[in-house]
Amino acid sequence: MPERARGEDRELLRRYHRDGDTAAREELIQRHLPLVRSLARRYAGRGEALEDIEQVGAIGLIKAIDRFELEREVSLATYATPNVVGEIKRHFRDKGWAIRVPRALQELNAAMSGAIERLTGRLGRSPSIAEIAEELKTTPEEVIEAMEVGSAYSTVSLSAGPGGEEELDPLETIGDEDVEFERSEHRAALEPMLDRLAPREREILRMRFEEGLPQTQIAHRVGLSQMHVSRLIRKSLSTMREEMLRAPPGASA
Amino acid sequence: MSEHQERIDLDAPLSGDFQAVVRLIIGGIAERVDFAFEEIDDLQLAVERLLAEAGQVGSVHLSFEVGERGIRAHVGPLSESAVADALHDGDVQPGHLTLRRILQTVVDSFGVEESGDGRIVVRLEKLKGMA
Repeated sequence: MPERARGEDRELLRRYHRDGDTAAREELIQRHLPLVRSLARRYAGRGEALEDIEQVGAIGLIKAIDRFELEREVSLATYATPNVVGEIKRHFRDKGWAIRVPRALQELNAAMSGAIERLTGRLGRSPSIAEIAEELKTTPEEVIEAMEVGSAYSTVSLSAGPGGEEELDPLETIGDEDVEFERSEHRAALEPMLDRLAPREREILRMRFEEGLPQTQIAHRVGLSQMHVSRLIRKSLSTMREEMLRAPPGASA
Repeated sequence: MSEHQERIDLDAPLSGDFQAVVRLIIGGIAERVDFAFEEIDDLQLAVERLLAEAGQVGSVHLSFEVGERGIRAHVGPLSESAVADALHDGDVQPGHLTLRRILQTVVDSFGVEESGDGRIVVRLEKLKGMA
């Protein structure tokens, strides 16, 4: 890394750690996302969509930025690399994904995300299973099986990190409407558990169930694939339900 | 949706282990109607959330009537009063996430039918090309 870039990193780290400048933190994240993508590519082809791996890696990057001590002599890139790789490895290990799912289905699932994006762009609508199968030169039955493979594992919340709720997710943009979403006085069913979710997940639920946006549009807004948005919605609803069952009576929000 | 030429019936345990099987079957049925990926996902989510509200004990009957325009599903009988309460809610206000709102978003229509033994059957209707 050029000396000038290292100097800029150091200045941004100083602004973040000494002055609490979160814009500096955001800039650091953006500057080092190419490093995350580069490291994530090493783990592609193992049944996980590349973008999912990249986002897990981004958690490692954020942790590295937050934990970096200004007294350290190393560059941020050097310090972040083992954090990013460690986060990705932990993700694979925790899921046990590679062991349980046949490789062919893993690969098909990983390929589906890109195929759906291409077809959605080409057709201007969500593709049918037959169209996805044709695009991937496989059968509709295998596509359906691969869909289920994708929904069978839990997606890591990319907003989860060591700093709790204060943390920013580089991949999310939370608008003012989120405040309104949380402000509701009425408590019914799942709603009290919304605040147990990461901000991005809350925002995705708001877009889907309040604005009524289709997954394709949500995916475009938050910069994720439609399949990933689908998984996050399902996972968020399940999480809220589980939290509700765990919560003692009267302990809402 | 008046024409329904084919019908598939299924009894499934309510325990979570079998929800993936139910999803798989819904995917297979919806593919025959040429539903879009997102429409399949919507119908799967509707059934999944209903089953989650219905608890983990016992089994549930699911029937799917397949027509040219879409799928009508019946899920039940369900004994959990939470399901009925959540669905009988009045109009959902902005910012409130209830089962009723979820269903309003992901299916084209839904309703509650009495099963005759004090329990309820939920009807879901998802039309093709409406997503």
